[in-house]
Amino acid sequence: MNLGVTAAAAAFKEAILVFTPAACSQFGLQTSSEEEPTFDLRRAAERVKLRGSCLLFTSRKLDKVRERRKAAKRTMFPFMFLLLLVQHVLLSSTHEAVISPQDPVLYIGSSLTATCTLSPELGLHASTLYWTLNGISVSSSAYSVLSPDTLSITLQNLNGSQQQSGDNLVCHGADGHVLAGSCLYVGRPPEKPVNLTCWSHNTKDLSCKWSPGGLGETHIQTKYTLKYKLRWYGREKECEVYNTGKQRYSCYIPRNLALFTPYEIWVEAANQLGSATSDITTLDILDVVTTDPPANVQVSRVGDLEDQLTVRWASPPELKDILFQAKYQIRYRLEDSTEWKVVDDVGNQTSCRLAGLQPGTVYFVQVRCNPVGIYGSRKPGIWSDWSHPAAASTPSSERLQSGSCDPKPGEQNSTLRRELKQFFGWVRKHASGCSGMSIKLYDQWRVWLQKSHKTRNQILQDDNS
Amino acid sequence: MQRSRVRPHPAALCCMSFPLSLTPFMSSALTYLGPPFNEKDFSPPRPNSTALSLPSAATRLELWHGLENQARLAQNQKAYSVLLAAVRELARSTLCPALKTSLLHFCTGLDGLLGSISALMTTLGYALPPPSANMEMRPTMNDFAKKVEGFWILRELQSWLWRSAKDFNRLKKRLRG
Repeated sequence: MNLGVTAAAAAFKEAILVFTPAACSQFGLQTSSEEEPTFDLRRAAERVKLRGSCLLFTSRKLDKVRERRKAAKRTMFPFMFLLLLVQHVLLSSTHEAVISPQDPVLYIGSSLTATCTLSPELGLHASTLYWTLNGISVSSSAYSVLSPDTLSITLQNLNGSQQQSGDNLVCHGADGHVLAGSCLYVGRPPEKPVNLTCWSHNTKDLSCKWSPGGLGETHIQTKYTLKYKLRWYGREKECEVYNTGKQRYSCYIPRNLALFTPYEIWVEAANQLGSATSDITTLDILDVVTTDPPANVQVSRVGDLEDQLTVRWASPPELKDILFQAKYQIRYRLEDSTEWKVVDDVGNQTSCRLAGLQPGTVYFVQVRCNPVGIYGSRKPGIWSDWSHPAAASTPSSERLQSGSCDPKPGEQNSTLRRELKQFFGWVRKHASGCSGMSIKLYDQWRVWLQKSHKTRNQILQDDNS
Repeated sequence: MQRSRVRPHPAALCCMSFPLSLTPFMSSALTYLGPPFNEKDFSPPRPNSTALSLPSAATRLELWHGLENQARLAQNQKAYSVLLAAVRELARSTLCPALKTSLLHFCTGLDGLLGSISALMTTLGYALPPPSANMEMRPTMNDFAKKVEGFWILRELQSWLWRSAKDFNRLKKRLRG
């Protein structure tokens, strides 16, 4: 076969081919700096052996040349030779060797004996072969030559598969080329999923999340199915929308949920080594309702009082049609502090006064909401996310200002803030183009500044430690 | 043979400025296949399968230069038809959700490219090749063989993307001139 290739190659000594860089690297050739790299057919032919594609295109393209240039009869013989070569190469390249077992699924820690059986046309002996697992050669002490055309390997105490697509067990010829491969799937059966938690957004939908049980990682493809049914009747249904957002083990049921009757919900985990089912969770949609955070949170001063601020907000709009009473919670902190103070007994009002604050200081405030008493339910709902932070500063103390020469940072900010507020008011009145400006924007900017400042400090701290 | 004098629609010409790039997910695809597929000089034997029945991107220089517009476009059209089906199948069988999404997203791009090529061919008055008879019986392949096929599909895709950029530049020059 090699002789034939050399003969054909000699006939096309003059031929120049254009290869793409990718194809060039495949043949281990460097591309030149020119746009269309070229190289000699002979070098390509030497490397061909099992690369049917090279010969394929060569004969095809040259066939086209033949059609165009009618005086090409003298090139007929090498063409025929090449075509025969191509057929021969193709037939033998599809089944050079076979590995058994193909694509087995195994338990972690188990052993595997695999065999690589050569086709007789190759003319190779089993003793010249070697194995690799995930690209790493396996020591020949694990090999055993069963016959002139069969080499076996025994792998002990297998670890969990390195990638989800399976571990690559490959049988190679002496010069390294790939004869055959098999994908190993080594893992463990799933354990009972745990911590199944569900919540409903405005009674319209249901989201659930869970955690895989036991050691968590099964190393092989494991399918989780969330199922649910109405407790006392109804067919079992399956959730369809998995892993929305960043939650890995979660599912979302967007519609057609019944109220006033409990649901039974559970998760089934299954893979090729086994399956497991979580405990059943029973819940009523109305008991696990959450909603959007309150809108339009605003913080403002209470006249000249230096230790108080008023917080106002609007109830979340979507729950107006669900007849509920909301419960609110406020938290606030100093601008440069990480500790939040929580005000719990806000009840269902939409405003609250914070007292006992430091004068001349900027505070960040957030509010969240919990729907209670939906359609008469007595259970507490689920707290919403915290609203976007709002900020305001308390008036500064007169005494302090007269005593010191350098204004304290808090005071400086509140003076600046007051001036900015006046500025924005003026801008709104007189400059029609800046309608979006408001003191609210300034407050949001202060919050953002604080966050990014903190992040920067954190990074610096981490660098120094 | 009457050469078409119709100026192609400017939109068709601008589709030829190639937004597709394989680099974002090439390395994650190879990582997904696992070593030795993601090793530098790895080159398994190329399988003889339907998925790889596309025209090769590699061609002789003078042949490439001399390609008529219709033949040039037809080769691209045929190649990307086969590649689109092959990459779709690759995406379908990928277990890693993030990679699956990237591949499917890429297929959308390929589909758009194929549509633009076909539209350009129609505008220039070239007949579109009939859609090839769908998939002859696929020989059953084991998972490793499927990985090798996937590997080669990505290789071919890379070659064709590289070649098509040159093809479209050439087309632009010839159509404007």
